[in-house]
Amino acid sequence: MSETLDLTLKVWRQPGPDASGRYVEYKLTEISTHMSFLEMLDVLNEQLNEKGEEMVAFDHDCREGICGMCSLMINGQAHGPDSGTTTCQLHMRRFKNGDTIVVEPWRARAFPVLRDLVVDRSAFDRIIQEGGFISANTGSAPDANSVPIPAPVQETAMDAAACIGCGACVAACKNASAMLFVSAKVSHLSTLPQGKPERDSRVQSMVAQMDLEGFGNCTNTEECQAACPAEISVSNIARLNREFLRAQLCSKE
Amino acid sequence: MVTKLAEKQQSSPSTGGKSATKWIMTLLSSSIGQKFVMGITGLLLCGFLVVHLAGNLLVYVGADAYNGYADKLHSMMLLPVAETGLFLLLFAHMALAFKLTRDNERARHISYQEPQSKIEEKPSVFSQTPMGNTSGWMFLSGSIILGFLVWHMIDMKLQLNPTVDYDGKKPYGIIVDVLGSYISAPIYIVGTIVLGFHLSHGFSSAFQSLGLNHPKYTPLIKKLAIIFALVIAVGFVSLPLWGFFIR
Amino acid sequence: MADTANTVFNSRVPDGPMAEKWDRCKQEMKLVNPANKRKKKIIVVGTGLAGASAAASLAELGYQVESFCFQDSPRRAHSIAAQGGINAAKNYPNDGDSVWRLFYDTVKGGDYRSREANVHRLAQVSNNIIDQCTAQGVPFARDYGGLLSNRSFGGAQVSRTFYARGQTGQQLLLGAYSALMRQVGTGRVKLFPRREMLDLVVVDGVARGIIVRNLITGEFEKYSADCVLLCTGGYSSAFYLSTNAKGSNVTAAWRCHKRGAYFANPCYTQIHPTCIPVSGDYQSKLTLMSESLRNDGRVWVPGGQGDQRRGNQIPDAERDYYLERRYPAFGNLVPRDVASRAAKERCDAGYGVGSTQQAVFLDFRDAIARDGRHAIEAKYGNLFHMYAKITGEDPYQVPMRIYPAVHYTMGGLWVDYQLQSSIPGLFVLGEANFSDHGANRLGASALMQGLADGYFVAPYTTSNFLGSQNLPDVSTDDEAFTEAMANAQDRNSKILGVQGTRSSDSIHRELGHILWDHCGMSRESQGLELAMGKISDLRDEFWSSIKVLGQGEQLNQNLEHAGRLADFLEFGELMVRDALVREESCGGHFREEHQTKDNEALRDDENFSHVSAWEFTGVGNEPVEHREQLEFIEVPLATRSYK
Ligand SMILES: Cc1cc2nc3c(=O)[nH]c(=O)nc-3n(C[C@H](O)[C@H](O)[C@H](O)COP(=O)(O)OP(=O)(O)OC[C@H]3O[C@@H](n4cnc5c(N)ncnc54)[C@H](O)[C@@H]3O)c2cc1C
Ligand code: HEM
Ligand code: SF4
Ligand code: FES
Repeated sequence: MSETLDLTLKVWRQPGPDASGRYVEYKLTEISTHMSFLEMLDVLNEQLNEKGEEMVAFDHDCREGICGMCSLMINGQAHGPDSGTTTCQLHMRRFKNGDTIVVEPWRARAFPVLRDLVVDRSAFDRIIQEGGFISANTGSAPDANSVPIPAPVQETAMDAAACIGCGACVAACKNASAMLFVSAKVSHLSTLPQGKPERDSRVQSMVAQMDLEGFGNCTNTEECQAACPAEISVSNIARLNREFLRAQLCSKE
Repeated sequence: MVTKLAEKQQSSPSTGGKSATKWIMTLLSSSIGQKFVMGITGLLLCGFLVVHLAGNLLVYVGADAYNGYADKLHSMMLLPVAETGLFLLLFAHMALAFKLTRDNERARHISYQEPQSKIEEKPSVFSQTPMGNTSGWMFLSGSIILGFLVWHMIDMKLQLNPTVDYDGKKPYGIIVDVLGSYISAPIYIVGTIVLGFHLSHGFSSAFQSLGLNHPKYTPLIKKLAIIFALVIAVGFVSLPLWGFFIR
Repeated sequence: MADTANTVFNSRVPDGPMAEKWDRCKQEMKLVNPANKRKKKIIVVGTGLAGASAAASLAELGYQVESFCFQDSPRRAHSIAAQGGINAAKNYPNDGDSVWRLFYDTVKGGDYRSREANVHRLAQVSNNIIDQCTAQGVPFARDYGGLLSNRSFGGAQVSRTFYARGQTGQQLLLGAYSALMRQVGTGRVKLFPRREMLDLVVVDGVARGIIVRNLITGEFEKYSADCVLLCTGGYSSAFYLSTNAKGSNVTAAWRCHKRGAYFANPCYTQIHPTCIPVSGDYQSKLTLMSESLRNDGRVWVPGGQGDQRRGNQIPDAERDYYLERRYPAFGNLVPRDVASRAAKERCDAGYGVGSTQQAVFLDFRDAIARDGRHAIEAKYGNLFHMYAKITGEDPYQVPMRIYPAVHYTMGGLWVDYQLQSSIPGLFVLGEANFSDHGANRLGASALMQGLADGYFVAPYTTSNFLGSQNLPDVSTDDEAFTEAMANAQDRNSKILGVQGTRSSDSIHRELGHILWDHCGMSRESQGLELAMGKISDLRDEFWSSIKVLGQGEQLNQNLEHAGRLADFLEFGELMVRDALVREESCGGHFREEHQTKDNEALRDDENFSHVSAWEFTGVGNEPVEHREQLEFIEVPLATRSYK
């Protein structure tokens, strides 16, 4: 029932943030097609450990596609070949016997490599901290049903709120732009009535931080949307642009 | 970084608003603001292209029509103003193109071994080209257009094309010579085809940059962009083809 | 020392009628004046629902907060994975819900092993949670009129579950995370991601700081504070295979336990019935499929043993819809523990399906025939998609294969009504404490508890603690810090020093097998005794043959894992011991010796209406059991029946 694969991996190995890295080739045999991609890497690591080589470091946690911790550029594609899928949900049945698979870390100046395939995505947190919230101190909230929100508005907000913060959009964009990520949060909050009071300051601060972190600019090539495991739409980027212009042109700040 | 928000929250909310220069500067120094300017200038240039093409297509009507149009144009008092404006648009567009392209190259300082697109249906003719995903194709096409424009200025403004005899000729005579020139014709053909590619992405991209996106009309804009790019490219490319081969 | 210390615990439950206890408690609390708040420092370990909400709320009050998590961002805590929803007693659907009914259901659902007063408070603040989250922009599902919509969940008779598609945990966590990040922006919260807590520092009997390892550089760091909040989640990963994240651990709680915090009811684990079964021995985790599937899917196994046919090729006459057969009233909707055990019973009897024969069918054929594929797709499309992605099978054509998996741990560090552990100054919130779910947690109530603790309980009770104490300043140069740091460092160097032959994964898997086989869905004394010995042997093996390469002063994921495993190996024994001494069946704890004649759980209220809170006495030594007697005044004891 279960088939197996023999594979060649070319994995980026880099001992530390300031060290230089290189691709190292590994051969794997009898990989079950039912394995997830990360389980395949587990197998590799077990074998490396046995041979006395240090394991390949890669980020992961939930392994069910929601925490956004896993990453990996697999054969030049963020999260591998499947659309709407994180690396942890990618399965080996997607590959063929004899395949060579190149595994690289996310590459962006704003996401420096820490070790092997692990990168530092704290830039995202700093963007959120500048405005990716609604200021509502604990205890100050009115009854949840006091402001009705039309279902379509709700749906739009939810679509955008589904972002898992993985950074695949940055990784896949030829300019390493973070616009999809930022636009998802701005869209989520600015479409909801609760988010309106801070609408202008939010978008201005978040965009300023995004620029400061050294992400590239959006050239509307839409690779981010194709790579996004949460299927965030680029229409959010247009909304971000709109919100930003509106804030610049109409607000008092 | 940490203090920015803290400061913001401590300082009393501004009542009078920022000074004009300040907000314009923030706008223009932000990535989105710059893209906004890119988009506006790009679209205005597109507008110019339409007018320019319409005027040029008069060569097919005949010498008189074309000369009439050219004379009228040159007798306009505002022409220098319009030309300066046009030049400024182009200059702003280009300056930002250089700046943004440089920023983008920096943002991805190390490239992947073999990046592969995950887009299943390519949105524009432009990105269906093999170079669709290589970094800076817009920049490359833009640069080719720039080269073409420089030559176009040498031809028409400076009148320095060695293969054209400008002396005492009416505009129609000049344009016919230029279009038939073995230096200019190939440059014009390549330049305008590349312009078409530039626009097949640029036209719809500008709407996105300006925040004009809606499920109702965005698909339309995308189709329109292709049509627009085709019309402009075919329209312009027909001129040197006609000048060089048919005439 | 005596084996069982029948200590009378001071659980600090206030007097007075149940409905007034929490208000009364708040009235009696000490306050900290605003100017002093700025001088008080609070450490919050964990950024899940409990930790993020607590850190944000405390910072809003004006305290200096330091927030820690082992992931690269606070937003990735495992609360993010919760799918189903969160309960609250809003009674928006007008179907007769109330604070009292939510309280009652939760006590009953917990099989009468939780502290009534805590559960009542949980039900009381549940409504505030929904308000708070909505104000933060959590996009809960709404009706066409724009008002919030509810669904019924986990067999509840009222619709009280709020949800955001299948991503409720994610949306709630992102709400708490955004509140937290807002405070980071103001400078009142300092964020320390990629830090793993490796020890608690106790000075003069009070929790005053923590030791963490910086997971990027490998350096050890000391942090001091006026109190410590532990919000580090559950320990299901002891079983290796569970629905928890790979990084989930017992380390933080266990090290606090070793410093004197009592561990309560460690054997109470919840096994969730609808997970995707194990497909091979490389499997690294199990994926949960929302319980809501049982609303339309029918659970069955083939009537004959060892049937290897595909589900859709087995005719009706040869199918055994065993849940419907055994529980005609509730059928496929029996509670989690009951459904899980029934599946295990069938598989153990040889009726399991799939290549491993450790699975049962969950079949949508009839639902699709009744409502149409489209309707089923609208309800469960994303789950079907996920199933197809993981298994490579099309659940619209072939019945799903499911099997129970470890999912949630009701046990945790013992806390009093104010969520303070047995170490003053150490507060424990969320899944890491033992407090509200008794022996079985109802669906959609863990999210509620995490946020209740973080938003609405801990901010009061920690203030009360800080207001009533006159704590001397403490510096990280204090002896206690030096000792704790050396202790933590030492443990890591020891692991690196073994340089043996076995990988941490292989030992962890082995531990998982032991726990699953003997301390999983059903337990009996012989097996438990056996497991105790096996775990202790495995622990010895760990310390003599673990192989971790690389250095300590670098990002070393293998070292992290080995460190967590070392703690699971100590903790596992306590879990088994707790299961052994609890000579009854209740909720998720099923002792084969204690069942009715139709194999249902048999509680022993006379002898076991208590919390077992264990005191550490040294690795390998017998711990001391303290008992907190539970009283059921509002919800009289009764037998759960789902027949
Ligand atoms: C798949 C799944 C589905 C679920 N669905 C539901 C549902 O529908 N409804 C419901 O009510 N409940 C559900 N639950 C249960 C619920 O999600 C959890 O019980 C709850 O979210 C736990 O929250 P927490 O804040 O206590 O811990 P977590 O969210 O687990 O957070 C733990 C935090 O502690 C940190 N941490 C842990 N150890 C250390 C350490 N040593 N050092 C430093 N930091 C550390 C982590 O970094 C993390 O930030 C589900 C659980 C799972 C696994
Ligand atoms: C007639 C001349 C030109 C026209 C009509 C034109 C039009 C456009 C338009 C409409 C856009 C889209 C703007 C946006 O995405 O917001 C664009 C983008 C761009 N143009 Fe031009 N352009 C012209 C000349 C040039 C020249 C001379 C350059 C020279 C370098 C250039 C370089 C670029 C670049 C780099 C972009 C950015 C691409 C992106 O962001 O995706 N263009 N152009
Ligand atoms: S927008 Fe998509 S790709 Fe980008 S961080 Fe969010 S989930 Fe990841
Ligand atoms: S590991 Fe959590 S999304 Fe992949």
